[in-house]
Amino acid sequence: MKDRIKKVMANIFGIDGNLINNNSSPDNIDNWDSLKHMSLIVALEEEFETEFSDDEIFNTMSYSLIVDALETNKL
Amino acid sequence: MKYSEIIKDNYVLGKKVKGREYKIAILSNIMVHQSKEICEYFLRKQSVNIKIFLGEYDNIVQDSAKYQDLNAVIIFWEACNFFDGFQYKADEISNVKFEALVNKIKAEIDLVLSNLNSTSLVLINKFSTLVFNRYQVSNNRFNNIVDLLNQYLESNTNAYTNLNLIDVDRVISNLSIDFSVDLRYYYLSKTLYSIDFYKGYFEHIKPIFLSATGRAKKALIFDCDNTLWKGVLGEDGFDNINMFQEVQHLAVTLAKKGVIVGLCSKNNAKDIDNVLENHPDMILKDDSIVIKRINWDDKVSNLKSIAQDLNIGLDSFVFIDDSSFEIGLIQKDLPEVSVFQVPIKEYEYGLLFRKVSNLFYNPSQTEEDVAKIGFYKKQLKRLECKNPMGNIEDYLKTLGLKINLYIDDLSQISRISQMTQKTNQFNLTTKRYTENEIKKLINNESKIVISIGVSDKYGDHGITGLAILDLEELKIDTFLLSCRIIGRNIEYKFMNIIVKLLRNSGVQKIDSQYNKTMKNQQVSDYYSKCGFSLVCESNGNIEYCLVINNYKNKELEYIRVIDER
Repeated sequence: MKDRIKKVMANIFGIDGNLINNNSSPDNIDNWDSLKHMSLIVALEEEFETEFSDDEIFNTMSYSLIVDALETNKL
Repeated sequence: MKYSEIIKDNYVLGKKVKGREYKIAILSNIMVHQSKEICEYFLRKQSVNIKIFLGEYDNIVQDSAKYQDLNAVIIFWEACNFFDGFQYKADEISNVKFEALVNKIKAEIDLVLSNLNSTSLVLINKFSTLVFNRYQVSNNRFNNIVDLLNQYLESNTNAYTNLNLIDVDRVISNLSIDFSVDLRYYYLSKTLYSIDFYKGYFEHIKPIFLSATGRAKKALIFDCDNTLWKGVLGEDGFDNINMFQEVQHLAVTLAKKGVIVGLCSKNNAKDIDNVLENHPDMILKDDSIVIKRINWDDKVSNLKSIAQDLNIGLDSFVFIDDSSFEIGLIQKDLPEVSVFQVPIKEYEYGLLFRKVSNLFYNPSQTEEDVAKIGFYKKQLKRLECKNPMGNIEDYLKTLGLKINLYIDDLSQISRISQMTQKTNQFNLTTKRYTENEIKKLINNESKIVISIGVSDKYGDHGITGLAILDLEELKIDTFLLSCRIIGRNIEYKFMNIIVKLLRNSGVQKIDSQYNKTMKNQQVSDYYSKCGFSLVCESNGNIEYCLVINNYKNKELEYIRVIDER
C-alpha cells in the first residue's frame, strides 16, 4: 500500500517517489499547497476506492498521516 | 485512466509537445483547479502546445479583462453559486431582489462579452439546474433565472461571433449526474465537478480547439460491405444487402457540409457502381462521393493514392471498416489515419458515427464548403486528362486559368479566416486567424489582405489563396494556397501580383519566412524558387529577404489576372 501511496504522491507533486519518506509534508515538498492537497486526496480516493472523512481531508497534511488514515479505512 | 496518471503523463507531454503556444484561460465562480491538467492533457495528446491560466475564484468579470489577449477563454459560471446557497435560497427572495439579481448578472455578462470581444474563442457553459433540480416536478425560481439568463446568452451569439455556448447538461447526462459532481467537495470547498466530468467535458469541446488549431479532419473514407450496408455484395448479392440508413444519411449530411466522402473497398468496381446507381435503398450516392478506390489492391496503397489525388495529408483522414484485419493493417502502416471499426452491435453504429462526425467540426460553413464536392470531382477529372498530355506546361496552357484578385475585401472575412485555420500544406507561416482578427487586419491601413479566387475551364475553385502583407514591419505575414489549386503555377503568378503591389506602394525591400510544421515541407523552398535570398536558418525555419527591383517575373501568360477592386 505504501508504494501505491508514494506513486500517487510522486505523480501529483511531480517528484521522484524515492524522495518521499515518513517525514514528507508541505514543509519539505514545495508543491504541496492547499489546492494540490485537494488533488492528492481525490487521487488517493480514486486509487484506493475509498472516501476520506471531512476531518481526514483537512488533517492528513503529511505522508505518515495519510498512511494512518488509509490504514484506519482498513485497506 | 486514473487522475494521478493523467497528471504524470501531462507533465511528460508538457516537455515534449512543441510548436506555437495556444493559450486558454479558465474563469469560474466555483473551484475548478482540477480542470487545468485534464484540459492540458487532452490537447497535448493532440500535439497542441497548450498553456492554461486559471482565473481567481469567483472573479469572472475582472479576469475577463485580464485574459482578453489569449487564444481562448472558457467560463464556468455556476448558477448555484451566484451567491452562497442560491440553489436553495432562490425561492425565498422577493420579486424585487430577483429582478435585481437577473439584471446584475446580465450586466456582468455584457461586461465579460465586451471585454472578450477581441478574444478568438469564448466558451461559456450554459447555466444549468440539472444537479440540484433533478427531482423538481415543476419549475422553481432557480429554473426561472437559469432559463432567463440562457436566453440572454443565446441572444448575444449574433453580436459576438466568437461566443460558443456549451450545453454542459449533455456532458452531465452522458456521464450521469452522480458521476459528474461530488457534492461532498462542493459543500466543503465549492469544487462542484468530478475528475470524470472534466474528462467528459474536455472530450466534448475538443473539436472546437482541434478546428481552431487546424487539426480538424477533412476526408471520410468508407469500406462498403458490412460498413455501408449489412451483408457482402459479392456473396449475398444485390437483393440481399441491407443499407445502414442512419449512417448513410449522416454521411450525406457531412458531405453537404464540405467533408470529402470516399469509398475504399475490395470489390469489383462495376458491382459497387451498380449498387450506387440502382439500389433503391442506397442513400449515399455518387453525387455525395468524391473519390472511389474499388479494386483488389491493399487498402494502405489505396488510401495513400487517395491522399495523393486529393492533395491532402493522411492525418486529415478518417477511415471506417468492419474488418479487424483491415483496421489493424492501417493502424500499423498509416498510424496518422484515424480508424473506426463498425461496432458488432448494429444499433451502436449511429451513435459511434455521430461521435466520429465531431472530428470534422467546422464552426462557420462557407459557400466553398458546400461546393467542395464539385471542386474535388473536377480536380480528379483534370488529373485524368493530365496523364496523357505529358508536359505539364502544355497541359496548363489548355486549362484557361484565371485569378480573380481581391484586396481588403470585408465580404470574405469568414472564408479568409477559414483558410488560415484549415490550410496546412501550402502555408508558409501557418498563422491561424479568427474572423475578428481578419477584420482587424483588413481595417488596418498598414496591412494588406489579398485573397484570390482561381477558376479554369472546368469550373470555379472559389477563394483559394491568401497573402497578408505587413507594410509596417515590411514582411509577408501570411502566404497560403488551398491544396485544391496546387500544381498550376498559381503560386508564382500570385507572387508576381504581390511584388507589383509592393512596388506600387513604394516598398523597396520585403522580408518573409518559412515556419516549419509537420505538414508544410513541400513549401520549404518556395521563396528560394521565387528568387528571395536566404537570410538565416534555424531549426528548419528560414528567413528570407527580397529587394523588389531584383525580382524576376515568371511570365506565365496563360494565367489571366482579373482585378476585382
